[in-house]
Amino acid sequence: MKTKQYSVKVFEIVLEDEERFISFFNKNSLFFQNHLISIIGKKSDKIEKYLQEKSLKYIFNANIPKKSTATKQEEVQPQQAIQKHLQVLDKLIRSGQELNIDGDLLLLNRVNSGGSIIINGTLIITQIVDGSIRCNGNFMMLQASNKANIVFHDVEIDNSFLQDKLNRVELINNEIVITPVLKEKSWV
Amino acid sequence: MGIVIAVISGKGGVGKTTTTANLGVGIAQNGKKCVVVDFDIGQRNLDMHLGLENRVVYDMVHVMDDGIGLKQALIKSKITPNLSFLAASQTKDKSVLDSEKIKKMVEELKKDFDFVILDAPAGIESGYEHTIEFADRAVVVVNPEVSSIRDSDRAIGILDSKSQKVKEGKEVEKYLIINRIDPKMVQSGEMLSSEDILDILNIPLIGKIPEDKGIIEASNQGKPIILSPDSLASQAYKRISRRLCDEKVAFVDVENDAKGFMSKIKGIFK
Repeated sequence: MKTKQYSVKVFEIVLEDEERFISFFNKNSLFFQNHLISIIGKKSDKIEKYLQEKSLKYIFNANIPKKSTATKQEEVQPQQAIQKHLQVLDKLIRSGQELNIDGDLLLLNRVNSGGSIIINGTLIITQIVDGSIRCNGNFMMLQASNKANIVFHDVEIDNSFLQDKLNRVELINNEIVITPVLKEKSWV
Repeated sequence: MGIVIAVISGKGGVGKTTTTANLGVGIAQNGKKCVVVDFDIGQRNLDMHLGLENRVVYDMVHVMDDGIGLKQALIKSKITPNLSFLAASQTKDKSVLDSEKIKKMVEELKKDFDFVILDAPAGIESGYEHTIEFADRAVVVVNPEVSSIRDSDRAIGILDSKSQKVKEGKEVEKYLIINRIDPKMVQSGEMLSSEDILDILNIPLIGKIPEDKGIIEASNQGKPIILSPDSLASQAYKRISRRLCDEKVAFVDVENDAKGFMSKIKGIFK
């Protein structure tokens, strides 16, 4: 007799509203490619067809043995990859120049008025931003002047929050949270 | 072989042509053979700044298209024999410019002169691109105001992507001139400070020129301001000319040097 033992990652979700369920997977389906999705709720053709289209593995109302029975919140975001193809650039982004970046970027120079960066990953800029930024990553860290135009996940951010010091902008539970990064001088 | 310097700014009206005329005279007075070329096809102005309006017979387009020799088209300045001038066409437009012909003309000028100064047109269109194409150095003229700086920033970006030297993998040396500095406004903090401008543009400074009422009259009369020794702008242009000739000249703080009478009195009582 041959046996094998696997650990499988299971993502458990309670199905209440079909529309919300589908929109959640539309956004996050990529993260669940290697998960088994355990759905608790009413099984319907629509949902099944949708999941098959997305080629996701799923089971309905299964009794999976698990150590912890803590019920997770409905819309917990799975942990995203912190780093994807990080690029480090020390280049002044001048007016009229546009950077289109797939992945993460660490920019060690400034973005001048009229310059722009469009990025789908995490963005860190160590010098001041006067230009425009479109970021869809996990978070971005920057300092912007009042001339800048900063959009994070399609939401325009009020520049007054980003002035003076380096700020960390991230999306937590569908809310944009801005935390200033304190820059204390340290003498080595 | 001469050095080709393009005078650029992006925005119009910041003082490119005035700067070209003055640097041309300054370099020539430094004992170098210098030619200034107006690249603003259809809107030439440099002839007026140099007081050579009535002497233009042939222009650049005649040289490039009609087989007129450079010797015939070049005009010797009355001011100093070291300075020559090549006019832009007033009747044609910039569509007559062609890379091959410009290259040939610039190469020929480089043989005869130590410095070839090209006065770029305002804007960043084809006329501008042709001006910077064969430049070894660029002098960027800005005013201490945000719109001028953004336009220059854009112009530098184009210079860094489209000039011949960059395509060969080398870099065009860029130098910044901050023009029309009003010392009073700088002291009261109304004008952008030079540090901010240098931070934004990130190119080395070659000189600052204070605002000078005499400049308008000087260009109206066709005598560049550099010829009036008392003017602060004239001294500034002289220093820049010497720096362009690779001399080491100390920087003078024009923002504070040009103190008014009242602040001098205040200084005494401090």
